[in-house]
Amino acid sequence: MLPGEGTGPEICEAVRRVIDHSGVDITWEYEEIGLDCLKEHGTLLPEKTIKSIAKNKIAIKGPTTTPVGTGHKSANVTLRKMFDLYANVRPAKLIPVLKRPWDKIDILSFRENTEDSYAAIEHMVSNEVAQCLKVITWPGSVRIAEFAFKWAKANNRKKIQCVHKANIMKMTDGLFLEAFREVAKKYPEIESGDIIVDNCSMQLVRNPGQFDCLVLPNLYGDILSDLCAGLVGGLGFAPGANIGDNCSIFEAVHGSAPKYAGMKKVNPSAVLLSGVMMLKWINEHKAAERIEKAVDKVLAEAKHLTYDAGGTASTDEYADAIIRAMDTV
Amino acid sequence: MSTLNATTGRAKRPAQKITLVGVDVYVITEDGIPKFDEYGPFKIEFISNRGTKVWPGYVSPDLMLVNWYRCRFTATRPVTDKDVDQFVSELGKKYLWSAVQKLWNYGDEAGYSKAY
Repeated sequence: MLPGEGTGPEICEAVRRVIDHSGVDITWEYEEIGLDCLKEHGTLLPEKTIKSIAKNKIAIKGPTTTPVGTGHKSANVTLRKMFDLYANVRPAKLIPVLKRPWDKIDILSFRENTEDSYAAIEHMVSNEVAQCLKVITWPGSVRIAEFAFKWAKANNRKKIQCVHKANIMKMTDGLFLEAFREVAKKYPEIESGDIIVDNCSMQLVRNPGQFDCLVLPNLYGDILSDLCAGLVGGLGFAPGANIGDNCSIFEAVHGSAPKYAGMKKVNPSAVLLSGVMMLKWINEHKAAERIEKAVDKVLAEAKHLTYDAGGTASTDEYADAIIRAMDTV
Repeated sequence: MSTLNATTGRAKRPAQKITLVGVDVYVITEDGIPKFDEYGPFKIEFISNRGTKVWPGYVSPDLMLVNWYRCRFTATRPVTDKDVDQFVSELGKKYLWSAVQKLWNYGDEAGYSKAY
C-alpha cells in the first residue's frame, strides 16, 4: 500500500477497510512515496519502497503530486518506467446514479505506458526552441497490442481500435499502427480497426457508445482516458491499472487534491475500483465482485454519496456504507 | 485587425548566456548496456533506454531494452566544440551512434531533462 500524499492517506485507509471486509486475506505492507517523502528523505521514491514493490510484485497506490513546468519528476511515471509497467488499463463505464446524456458507455483504454513523449528526452536547442523526442519502438508497440488483444479475448470484448495520428507522424505513429495491425492478424475473432486521434476525440463526445476497446500511444492514452472518465462521471470514479510482465501497480487516475487533504470529503471510489481491478488481477474474483456489487448498491440508493456525486457523505461514511452493503449482497 | 497587421516581426525570447556542459550521445548496440571509460573531459553520468535510466542504480530485471541508448556525458572542466568533436571521434571508433545533442546551460538553468 502506497498511500501517497494530499488526500491519498485518508482515501487509502478507507479503501483498505473495504477490501479487508471483502473476505480476501491480504497482509498490507505500507510504504512511502511522493512529495512528503521528498521533503523528509530527499527522494520521491525511497529504496525501501522500491524493494517492497520488487518483492511483492503488486501494489495499490494513492495519488501523488507532480508540479507543472519545473521541479521534480513524477513519482507515478518513475514507478511505471522503473518496473516497466507498460500497460495502463483504464475502464470507463456508465454509473447509473450519475446522470449522463448517454445510454451506454463501456470503454476500455489500453495506454502504452512507457514510451512516446514520456521518454523524458527534452532539450532547449536554442533559447527560443525546445524539443521533445517522441520515442515509439517496435517491441513496445507490439507488446501493448498483444496485451490488449489478450485482455479483450479473456474478457469477451468484441472490438479493438488503434488510436493514432499516423497521417502526420508517419514514422512514430506509423510504427505503432503497423505493430497493431501485425498483432491483430493473430486475433481474427476480435474485430480490429484504427481511428485518427482527433476524429476519435470528436466521436467520443458525440457517440461514445460505439467504442469498445482502444489501444493508444502514451500521450493520446493519457488524454483520451481522462476524456472517457469525464464522459462517465469524472475522475472520482476512474480506476486504473499499470501492468507489467511481473509487477503491477493499481492506482486512480486522479491527483492528490491537496486542498482537500485532511477534510475526509473526497470520493475514494477511483482508488477502491482500482483495488477491485487488483483483486481480479490476482484472481480474487469473489471478493472483487462483492465490493463491486456493494458499490453499485450504495450508489443506487444514493443515501451516502460524496460531494462530487451530489451527496454530503464523508470519505469514511461512504466507505462504511459500502462495508454494510457488502453484508447484504 | 490592425494590431495583427501591425506586427513588426516574430516574438523574441530574451537571449541568455549559454554554457556547454556536456553531450547526450545516442548509441546503437545489440550488446546490452554500454560501458564507457572517461573520454578526455567528458565523464558518463547516466545511460537511459526508452527514457528509463539503466545505469547507474536499480534496473528492474523485467525492463525491456531496445538497441538504442541515450548516454549522457558531462564535462569535468570548461569545454569547447573542439572537445566535443574529438570526443565524438573517439567514441565513434567503438560505438555506432545516431545523434549527438549538446547540453547547454542557459544562465544558471539546465537546458535539458534528466532521465527517469
